[in-house]
Amino acid sequence: MSRHPAPKQPVDNTRRRLLLGAGAAAGSVLVPGAAQAEAAAARHHVTDAPTGDASFADRWPFYGEHQQGVTTPRPASGMIASFDVLAQTPGDLEALFRGLTERLVFLTQGWTPPELDPKLPPPDSGILGPVVAPDNLTATVSLGSSLFDDRDWLKPLKPKKLQRMTKFPNDALDAGICHGDLVLQFCANRPDTTIHALRDVLKSMPDKLLLRWKQEGTVPVIPPNPDGRVESARNLLGFRDGSANPDSGDSIVWVGEAHDEPAWAVGGTYQAVRIVRNFVERWDRTPLGEQERIMGRRKPSGAPFNGHTEFDEPDYTKDPDGKVTAHDAHIRLANPRTAESRKNLILRRPFNYSNGVTKSGQLEQGLLFICYQADLEAGFITVQRRLNGEPLEEYLKPIGGGYFYVPPGALSPGDYVGRTLIEAAREGKASPT
Amino acid sequence: MKAKHLLAAAALAVLFGGQARAEDATLDLVGPIADYKIYVSENLQKLVSDTQAFTDAVKAGDVEKAKSLFAPTRMSYEAIEPIAELFGDLDASIDSRADDYEAAEKDPAFPGFHRLEYGLWEQNSTEGLAPIADKLMADVNELNGLITNLTLPPEKVVGGAAALMEEVAATKISGEEDRYSHTDLWDFKANFDGSQKIFELVRPLIEQKEGDFVKKVADNFATVDTTLAKYKDGEGYQLYDKLSEEDRKVLATAVNTLAEDLSTLRAKLGLS
Ligand code: HEM
Repeated sequence: MSRHPAPKQPVDNTRRRLLLGAGAAAGSVLVPGAAQAEAAAARHHVTDAPTGDASFADRWPFYGEHQQGVTTPRPASGMIASFDVLAQTPGDLEALFRGLTERLVFLTQGWTPPELDPKLPPPDSGILGPVVAPDNLTATVSLGSSLFDDRDWLKPLKPKKLQRMTKFPNDALDAGICHGDLVLQFCANRPDTTIHALRDVLKSMPDKLLLRWKQEGTVPVIPPNPDGRVESARNLLGFRDGSANPDSGDSIVWVGEAHDEPAWAVGGTYQAVRIVRNFVERWDRTPLGEQERIMGRRKPSGAPFNGHTEFDEPDYTKDPDGKVTAHDAHIRLANPRTAESRKNLILRRPFNYSNGVTKSGQLEQGLLFICYQADLEAGFITVQRRLNGEPLEEYLKPIGGGYFYVPPGALSPGDYVGRTLIEAAREGKASPT
Repeated sequence: MKAKHLLAAAALAVLFGGQARAEDATLDLVGPIADYKIYVSENLQKLVSDTQAFTDAVKAGDVEKAKSLFAPTRMSYEAIEPIAELFGDLDASIDSRADDYEAAEKDPAFPGFHRLEYGLWEQNSTEGLAPIADKLMADVNELNGLITNLTLPPEKVVGGAAALMEEVAATKISGEEDRYSHTDLWDFKANFDGSQKIFELVRPLIEQKEGDFVKKVADNFATVDTTLAKYKDGEGYQLYDKLSEEDRKVLATAVNTLAEDLSTLRAKLGLS
């Protein structure tokens, strides 16, 4: 597709190629000067605010060892869509994976839908115009526990830590927005692009996927500072979210040979999705000092109490009694920063959501929390257990989501997402179908 | 082109002037449309007599009898819904739901089958239902008269196959249609039959050229048939809450796929 530029480099160790505010002219490959990259290296994250200079022509390569949309910098719009899978045999599931991969390649790389006889329904919804530009779209496929549990031939291949999400004490889970056999995460510069992608998949695979629920979210766009410094965007409690996110290049995200997981799963990661409602009216009536105590950070800057900027590290070694940062502050519980707790690091990649008004006349908004880790139990589940009972809970109500496994990426044209799983299933079966 | 259809075809072509562009295809439709008209008339006759019996039972205060007649009476309406919908006001008066009214069930404007259903099941009574029953009967009679005198537009008939599936996909698969009686599976059956009838009538026209398409659609109708057959109970069907989650998924998928595939049926027959 000649009108589109060559793909940008995939995220290597993430920080190198992130948008440093160098005007992203359509199609330019954004590689900052080395010195600038070094200087910026310590403070760029997957969750940096989108800078608003993104172009429709921006695109991420679809093929690679890992799927896109995990360590890819988070753009302004995100969507989680959960589906039931109809396939009952390896052959049917392969057809689903292949068909889905084909659509996702078109959508993420851009394409021009053919012109058909006007007596026919158009091949594309047209909401992005006659040419579908990639608009930074990433598509991430993940698989729920039920996909494995409900099919005898898949059961033995279930990733070891994959399980159905169960209620934490503060949860009020709504079955209508929980779980699913397969999840698609779409992220793009604009919400119309994620909606377009979803509608394309629904139209292309009505015989294979049945939509269960979806949740969209946004990240505020913040133009970078003159020095190229990019801030973390704020969530709907008004705090910067993502400041202490680990370097996504770290081994915390990807399952490798060393992990105790089925071989097909190498190169994948666990995805935890939580729809966490925020009681924002109540939060806005809470004294600023208390808000900051509950979070463990300053609200305007996002700095920890012992620092000046959001990227300064909290230091709890000098604060054993919790006099500076309370022991039950959100960030201290979530990550006590001990040698032990390094095992529990997670890569957060959330979106703010805003859905309307509750029956009681309050705003239904909050966080579409999404995080990635190589070990679901050591990661999300352990961190959430530590957070159980935290003071922030008075302002939160988790109402939906689920746990999923993101299989490794499709390597090159002809390959498809899910291939390693299908091959493993066929090897394990006496008479493959 | 069969000679006996020539004359009628010419008339149709005049009637639908611009739309008869792909002449051959449109002309071939004369036979199927005539057959479909017969199907519609038969259903209308049955709808009139069944509605008479149903509304008589309501007016006689016989709750049990009225309940037993509710679902079967609706079937002939559901089978030809795309045609009934050509008369939007009557369709609303006969078959609208509580959600279509601001005050829902309490809204005095809430009429028709579902208002009677609400009274019979939720209130277990026929009190105050007589005027609603009379109005329903009058509406059904009026609809019958209007459709009998109607020349069926081919694109509406052919489009009806998909329209029925769109209806099920958008507002029925959830079990919200017959929410008080839970007799939704009867409606499903009628909607599928109505759609399949249209497909079968035009099938010979495309069988040759569109073999894969025809097979896929026929297979999906067959899937629906086998799935619904599991819930057969006497002359009718079990209640909607008996439908297993697995079978609901199978039906929903078949509906979505049929809606998608049948949306191309008009074009395949040269209709715009
Ligand atoms: C609506 C719900 C939530 C809100 C509003 C929220 C807000 C925040 C904020 C403002 C920060 C500080 C800035 C940063 O480092 O990103 C933070 C940090 C963090 N949060 Fe949350 N969070 C929520 C839910 C969760 C959940 C469900 C988890 C995981 C179970 C979690 C885990 C973390 C972690 C690990 C950190 C980093 C702590 C550190 O390394 O210092 N958060 N959160």
